[in-house]
Amino acid sequence: MRRRRHDIVQLMILSVLGGAVVLTLLLPRLPAEQAAGEATEISVILREGDSALWPNIRLGMEQAAGELRAELRVLTPAEINDGGEQLRILRREVEGETDVVIIAPADPAGLDRALREEAVRQPVVSMESALAAGEVTVAPDNRALGQALGEAVIEDGAGDGFVLLVSASPETAGVTDRLAGAAEALAAAGTKVREREVSIAGGDEGLKTLMKHPDLSAVLVLEPLLTEQAAAIKVGLGLAVPLYGVGVTAEGASYLQQGVISAAAAWSDFAAGYLAVEAAVCLSRGEECRTELLPFFIVRGEDVYEPAYQKLLFPVTA
Amino acid sequence: MRRFFRRAAGRLTQWYRGMSIQMVLSLSFTAVALAGIVFMGSSILLRFSDSTERLTEESTQRLLAQVNMNLDSYLRRMMRVSDAVYYRVIKKTDITDRSMVEDMGLLYEENRDSLVSIAIFNEGGALEAAVPLTGSRLTAFPNESTWFRMALEKMENLHFSTPHIQELFDDPDYRARWVVSLSRHVQLTRDGRTERGVLLVDMSFGGIAQVCQNVDLPNGGYVYLIDRNGELIYHPRQQLIYSGLLEENNLTAAAYNDGSHQEVFQGERREVTVKTVGYTGWKLVGVVPNPPLLGEGDYLLLFAIAILLFSAFLMAFLNFRISAYISDPILRLDQAVRELEAGSEEVRFEESGCDEVRRLGRSIASMVSTMRHLMEDISVQEGQKRRNELEVLQSQINPHFLYNTLDSVIWMTESGRTQEAIQMVTSLARFFRISLSGGRRMIPLGDELEHARHYLSIQEIRYRNRFRFRIGALAGTEGLYTLKLTLQPLLENAIYHGMAGVEDDGEITVEARREGDELIIDVSDNGVGMPPAVLEGLLTGRRGESASGGSGIGVRNVHQRLRLSFGEPYGLTVFSEPDEGTTVRIRLPVLTAEEAAVWEEERP
Repeated sequence: MRRRRHDIVQLMILSVLGGAVVLTLLLPRLPAEQAAGEATEISVILREGDSALWPNIRLGMEQAAGELRAELRVLTPAEINDGGEQLRILRREVEGETDVVIIAPADPAGLDRALREEAVRQPVVSMESALAAGEVTVAPDNRALGQALGEAVIEDGAGDGFVLLVSASPETAGVTDRLAGAAEALAAAGTKVREREVSIAGGDEGLKTLMKHPDLSAVLVLEPLLTEQAAAIKVGLGLAVPLYGVGVTAEGASYLQQGVISAAAAWSDFAAGYLAVEAAVCLSRGEECRTELLPFFIVRGEDVYEPAYQKLLFPVTA
Repeated sequence: MRRFFRRAAGRLTQWYRGMSIQMVLSLSFTAVALAGIVFMGSSILLRFSDSTERLTEESTQRLLAQVNMNLDSYLRRMMRVSDAVYYRVIKKTDITDRSMVEDMGLLYEENRDSLVSIAIFNEGGALEAAVPLTGSRLTAFPNESTWFRMALEKMENLHFSTPHIQELFDDPDYRARWVVSLSRHVQLTRDGRTERGVLLVDMSFGGIAQVCQNVDLPNGGYVYLIDRNGELIYHPRQQLIYSGLLEENNLTAAAYNDGSHQEVFQGERREVTVKTVGYTGWKLVGVVPNPPLLGEGDYLLLFAIAILLFSAFLMAFLNFRISAYISDPILRLDQAVRELEAGSEEVRFEESGCDEVRRLGRSIASMVSTMRHLMEDISVQEGQKRRNELEVLQSQINPHFLYNTLDSVIWMTESGRTQEAIQMVTSLARFFRISLSGGRRMIPLGDELEHARHYLSIQEIRYRNRFRFRIGALAGTEGLYTLKLTLQPLLENAIYHGMAGVEDDGEITVEARREGDELIIDVSDNGVGMPPAVLEGLLTGRRGESASGGSGIGVRNVHQRLRLSFGEPYGLTVFSEPDEGTTVRIRLPVLTAEEAAVWEEERP
């Protein structure tokens, strides 16, 4: 009996020591094996291929992808704001077993419908416009942004004419929200407002015609690409009508400095790209991610190269 | 507390007492070995930890020194460009006579990999000359810039700015380029007169970034660069910091002196090494986070721990085997002694193990052997003693009887009863012949009865026929064996005590029969009998107060002889009623001639 107890004690001691040896030998392998897991495949589907803001977004995305072990595949529709093609690209990526999708929806309502009907398994992160079926949205508060732009117009004095609110993609919820916010702020100040839709892809004739209207007191453009187009038209036609827009590129900053654009609403595109990829990786790992609103600001010509704005608007590149 | 320790010590002692020698040895060895290994491991760990920290520190400092050297070299190159523009172009040119752009262009081309632009401004901030872009942006006001003001305020120095977007020139490509500006006060010559101006050399931010990036410090550490106020110049995650997605402890680092410092930032402990970059007052900051639980440095440590644990495992295993080798012979000895205690006779004492244990085994075996011999001797001595007792008892019979008989013969001869005397002597002769029986202790029942007949004949003459006697044996009993001289003392007792009050009608009978495995011989008389008190003490020797005369020693002798010879169940039983008579029943085992011979041999 005693001998047996003694044998058990010895066996226990040897087992504990043996187990500890195995554990200490295996332990270093565990993090290595975890780290050696496959990179997250992220499909990024944009709504406009030649956006001047895209390089900054891309920088943020690439920084996040490098840090979080993700592979980016950037896809754009052949035609700007082609919601149908976006959907086809999305289906193809989903079938191709991508891990997660980041999309700047051209037609958020249609995309939402499709996501619900087709029960897309992969998590979806939306940029710019919120998607009901998407898990996370990376965008500024578009309605507040529109309101702030409207208030900037009022601050500069809207005059007796009407303020033209121009958009190119009325289906895009983000743009619609900006439009609504701006209209609300202007209407609240008793300013007359007209909303017009133009096609970016169809040339700038429509916008030119609109901007030449004699009763215009200000033009408020609610999309980045359209803002630069409107600034170029203003310079080209020598118009004096105050122009307000969204997004600041290097060219936009030049227009701002020259006073072509009176004020623009902007946010850090680098941060938007980084946060989108960060959220995508987080979702692909099955973790809980929060939707955070991107902070935005209204920048005027004299402020555009202020150090604080420089850092946000123009990502540092080596 | 003291009580606790006392109780713990008590429990330990109790536990220790309950442990086998092997467990004590193996656990003690293992505990000592483990203590040694833990001590050794801790020492190695501390040493390893110290040297790792020192190595990390040295490695960081070495890397920072290298980066510092590269950065210094880069900045000196920029300063040389600035010097070249100033001394080889500005000093030699009267801007009224000729443009400086061509010469500046040559210098720019030589260093275009690191430069974004070279520009010269007059004291009012107006552009005098610039390469590669020549047109000043209308909205640019250089004289409001820090680099411009600093150059004019501290004319003897060269001033390095923090990174910023260059927005001085009209760029048809609308490129937003990050630059670090090197500015200095210069003296421009205009129409033979000197005036104050500012020379601006815009270095590409990428040049500085290239020097600082790709510096791998241990544990995922990195290097960043700040100016003397803590303003960030380069950081590997600079844009994240600019975008508010990340924070750095740069303002605190600006206050650090050169060397290594420990700091806790955002809950993370890290080692920060600072190195000031020569002329500029910039600081290179190397950040090495403390290794995570399983950082790369810990793999080696874990491997060392694994080796120590394996040593402990091996040590414990060897301890167990060695302790078993030492203690197993002792345990076998212990087991043998236990078996011996339990009464086993076939116990074997192994002589194995180390010298002391072998010697102990030999000693115990020798002791047991001696003990056995002693026990055998005691047994022999006991037998001898018992035989001696028997002989003593027998010897108590013969002198007693002989004396009485001879006394009677003398008495009859003296009284002229010659015939009776002759008969008595004849019976006595026959009596003694049977008594001798060739020295044997067991004789056939027939001989014993014959012996009794002669004795009674003698006594009948001696007592003048005061009693009659009758001896009978059932068929088949006379050949059975009985202890010699069993009946005579009982008959003597019946005559002396039973017939004491009898006139001439006394009767003594001896009857033998077999009852199963027992031979029963009843010796009865019709004498005075015995009261219960006497009867009770007759065989034990404890006599009652009302006992009549006679010690009863003869009866008791017979009883003891029978019990000594055949055991407890055998012996005498006495039945007696006062005035009725007494019967003494002899109970013996049935013994044939062969069995009697064996009995004699076994009891020498």
